[in-house]
Amino acid sequence: MSVETENLEQLVNRRYAHGFVTDIASEGLPPGLNEDVVRAISALKQEPEFLLEWRLRAYRQWLEMTEPEWAHVHYPRIDYNSISYYSAPKSDKDRPQSLEEVDPKLLETYDKLGIPLHERARLAGVAVDAVFDSVSVATTFKKKLSEAGVIFSSFSDAVREHPALVKKYLGSVVPQRDNYFAALNSAVFSDGSFVYIPKGVRCPMELSTYFRINAANTGQFERTLIIADEGSHVSYLEGCTAPMRDENQLHAAVVELVALDDAEIKYSTVQNWYPGDENGVGGIYNFVTKRGDCRGTNSKICWTQVETGSAITWKYPSCILRGDNSVGEFYSVAVANNYQQADTGTKMIHIGRNTSSTIVSKGISAGHAQNAYRGLVRVMPQASSARNHTQCDSLLIGKDCGAHTFPYMEIRNPSARIEHEATTSKISADQMFYCRQRGISEEDAVNMIVNGFCKEVFNELPMEFAVEAQALLNVSLEGAVG
Amino acid sequence: MNSQISIQELTRALHRLPGTEQTTERRRALQLFADHGFPGQREEDWKYTDLSSIAKISRTWLSADAEPDGPDLARIHAAMASIDAAWIVFANGSLLRDLSPGLSEPGVSASDAVELDVVAVPNRRDDPLSALNRALSRDGLRLQIKGDNAAARPIGILTLDAAQTAVSSSQVRVDIELAPGSAARFVELHLSTGEHEHYSNCVVNLVANPASSCDYVRIQQRDINHSQTARLNLRLQQDSHVRHAAFDLGGKLTRNDLQVDLVGQGASCVLDGLYFGVPGRHIDNHIRVDHCVGPSTSMQDYRGILTGKCRGVWNGKAVVHKGADGTDATQSNHNLLLSEHAEINAKPELEIYAEDVKCAHGTTVGQLDEQAIYYLRTRGIDESAARRILTGAFAAIIVEKSPIPELLGILNEKVVAELQKIAPGVVS
Repeated sequence: MSVETENLEQLVNRRYAHGFVTDIASEGLPPGLNEDVVRAISALKQEPEFLLEWRLRAYRQWLEMTEPEWAHVHYPRIDYNSISYYSAPKSDKDRPQSLEEVDPKLLETYDKLGIPLHERARLAGVAVDAVFDSVSVATTFKKKLSEAGVIFSSFSDAVREHPALVKKYLGSVVPQRDNYFAALNSAVFSDGSFVYIPKGVRCPMELSTYFRINAANTGQFERTLIIADEGSHVSYLEGCTAPMRDENQLHAAVVELVALDDAEIKYSTVQNWYPGDENGVGGIYNFVTKRGDCRGTNSKICWTQVETGSAITWKYPSCILRGDNSVGEFYSVAVANNYQQADTGTKMIHIGRNTSSTIVSKGISAGHAQNAYRGLVRVMPQASSARNHTQCDSLLIGKDCGAHTFPYMEIRNPSARIEHEATTSKISADQMFYCRQRGISEEDAVNMIVNGFCKEVFNELPMEFAVEAQALLNVSLEGAVG
Repeated sequence: MNSQISIQELTRALHRLPGTEQTTERRRALQLFADHGFPGQREEDWKYTDLSSIAKISRTWLSADAEPDGPDLARIHAAMASIDAAWIVFANGSLLRDLSPGLSEPGVSASDAVELDVVAVPNRRDDPLSALNRALSRDGLRLQIKGDNAAARPIGILTLDAAQTAVSSSQVRVDIELAPGSAARFVELHLSTGEHEHYSNCVVNLVANPASSCDYVRIQQRDINHSQTARLNLRLQQDSHVRHAAFDLGGKLTRNDLQVDLVGQGASCVLDGLYFGVPGRHIDNHIRVDHCVGPSTSMQDYRGILTGKCRGVWNGKAVVHKGADGTDATQSNHNLLLSEHAEINAKPELEIYAEDVKCAHGTTVGQLDEQAIYYLRTRGIDESAARRILTGAFAAIIVEKSPIPELLGILNEKVVAELQKIAPGVVS
C-alpha cells in the first residue's frame, strides 16, 4: 500500500473533529409535547401573556397539520413525544455579567471548537451572542452596539425589554401556520437572537451567533428575528457545529428578516451540524424556515450559506420582494457526503415593481449522498419589470450519489425577464490528470477543483467566513475520492 | 371528491360500447380509474392543471347516454387533403376503416388491439387517464412497422371529434411497434368541431426496437371549446432514435404527457415543441425522459408564445438512473409573454443518480427585445411588422427543425394563422 493511500485511508476514517460533549448539568423538561409543556416553557422564560397565547395558537395549529413528505429526503418517522423541548445550562440561574463569569467549561467548549470567544470577538470586531443549547449565556460588545442604538440580544431578553417590537414583528414574515416545522418552532421555541437596527444606522460591526447543540435528546428550536429600520444596514453571521452523537437530533429553527425602506440585511450561514457517521448513523435533522421580507422600497436582503453538515437539510431561505425596487439574493454551497441528504434552495416572490433577484446555487454530492436544489421564482401580476437570474450547478463525485434540480418558475407578468440555467457534471478525468501531473495529490486536486467550482459563492461570504468555509469544504469532502 | 366518477356510471358506459366485451383488462382499468378519479391539483404533476372541467364533461357525457355524432366527412376529407400522408382516421373514438388507406400501406401491418394489452410500457399502465382510455376505447389499433419506410410518405393518424348535438367524449388508442432496423414517419393530427364541449383522451404507445428510427410530428388544432389529454409513451431500445415535434395550436385545455424510456445503449431522442397560448386556453406539456442505461441522449427544446388570459405549463424532467453513465441530457424552454394576464409555469427538473453524466437545462421567460424592434424600425420596418418578424422568428426555430421536412409548408401556414390570432393585424 502506498504512503498516499494510507494517508487517504486515515483521512477517510478520521472522526468528526467537533465530536465531544461538554459535561455541564442540564436543566430540562422531560420528553413529550402537550399544552402544558408549551405553558411550562413560557413560564420558565417568564414570558408575557401575549407570547404564551401566540405559542398556544401555534401548537393547536401544529396539531392539525401533517408532516410534509414532498422533499427529496428519506428518514424514519420522528416521534415528537420522545423529544425534550427545553434544556438550559444550569448556570443560567445566575446569569454571568461578563465573560470572566462564564462557566469555564463552556469556554472550554469554544476552545475545542477553535473559536476562543473573547479573543475572536476582540480581534475580529465581532459581537458574539452565543447560544449554548437553548439559552444565551454570553453577549459581548453590547455597549458599543447600544451606543449606535442597535439592539442585539437573546430573544428572551428582547421579549422582556422590547415587547412592543417583538409583538409587532414576530410571525409577520413566517406566520405560525406557515409549515409544519415553523408551527412546531412557534410553539416551543427556546431562545434565539433578536436584532433591531434603528433608522439610518449602519451596524458598526458584523453580528454573529454561534449555535451549539449539546444535551442529549434535545431538539433545538431557535427563533431569530432581525429588523432593519429605514436606511439601516446589518450583516449577520450564523455558524454552527455540533458534538458527535449516535441518535438523530431535530433542529427546527425559524429566522425572520424584515427590511424596511432603503434597508439592507446580509445573512450569512456556515452550517456544520453533525452529519452522521460514514454509515449514515446519527446526525442532525435540520428543518429550517428562513424568510426575509423586503417590506420597504429599495430594500435588499442577501442570503449566503455554506451547508456542509446535518444528516438531513431541509431549508429554503427566501425573499419576499414586496417593496418597489427591492433586491433579493441567494448564494449557496451545499455539500453532501456519505449518507447525507440535502433538499435546499430558495424562493423569490416578486410583488413590488422593478424588483430583482439573483440565485447562485452550487451543490456537491459525494459518497451515497443525495443533494437537491429546489427553488421557486414567482412573479405576481403587479410586479412589473421583475428580473431574475438563476444559476444552479451540481458536481458529482462518486457513482452512488445523486444530484437533483427542481426549479419552479411561476411568471404572471409580461414584463418579467427570467433566466434559469443549470448544469450537472463530474470532475473530469482531464482536470484531475492535469493537477496530478503537476504533483498535486488527488485529495488536494479535488479540493482545488471544488473550491474553484464554489468560488462565485465564496466571493459573497464575509471575510470571517470565507476562510472557514473553504476549510470546512475540504473537511467535508474527506474520503470522497480514492 | 368532485373528480370522482362512480364505477356504476363507468360500467354503464362500457356496456354501451358496440362490440366490446367486458374483458378482464377493461374491468381492471375501470376499477383503477374509479378508485383514483381524475388527478387533482394536490398531486405534484397536476399542480397547475385543473381537470374539474374535464370531469364535468365526462359526467355529463356518461349520464346523457347519447350516441356519438356521426363523422364530419367534409372536414375529414379536407384534413386528409391538407397533408400528403397515408391516413388512418378516428372519428369520435371510432376507427373509420374505409377512410384509412394507411392500414394497408406497404411495411405496415395493422391489427385490433382487442385485449388492449400494452406491449410497450407496462410500468406506465397505472396512471388514471391511461386506465380511463384502456377501459373505454371503442377501437384500439396496433401497427407493426417493418422495413425502412423513411423515404415513404408519412403515416397519418387523424383524430376528428365532433360535438355538434351534445357534450361528448372520446378515447383513442394506438400501439406502434417498430421492428428491429425499421424506419417510419408519423404525423398525428388532432381536430375537432361542434358547439358543445368535448373531451378527448388519447394514448399512443410506441416501441422502437433495436436500430429502428422514427420521425414523429403531432399537431393539435382543436376548437377552443374542446379539451384534450394526450399521452405518448416511447420505449427506445438499443441504437434506436426518435425525433418528435409537438405543435399545440388549439384547444381549450390541453395536457400532453410525453414519457420516454431509454432502455437500450445508444438510444437517443429529440423532443421539440411549440405552443401558443391565446385567451381562454390552458396548455400543459409534461415531458419525462428516463435514462435507464447509458450512453444515451435526450434533447428537449420547447417554446411558448402566450398572450391574453391564458396559462402555459411546461414541466421537463430528465431522470438518469443508477448506472446510466454516459448520459447526455439537455432541456431548454423559452417563453414569450406578450400581454398582461398571460401566465407561464415552467419547471425543468433533473434527477441524477449516475456519475458520468452531462446534463444541462436553460429556461427563460421574457418579451420581444425592444432593441431588436428598434433596430428593425431604424431600417424602415414599422413596429407591427417588426414584432411579427421577431415573434415569427422565435417560433421558426422549432418549426424549421420539423423531423418531417415536407410538413414545413403547412406548419408555417398554421403558425402564421396562430400568430394572426395572437396579434391581429400584426401578421400579414
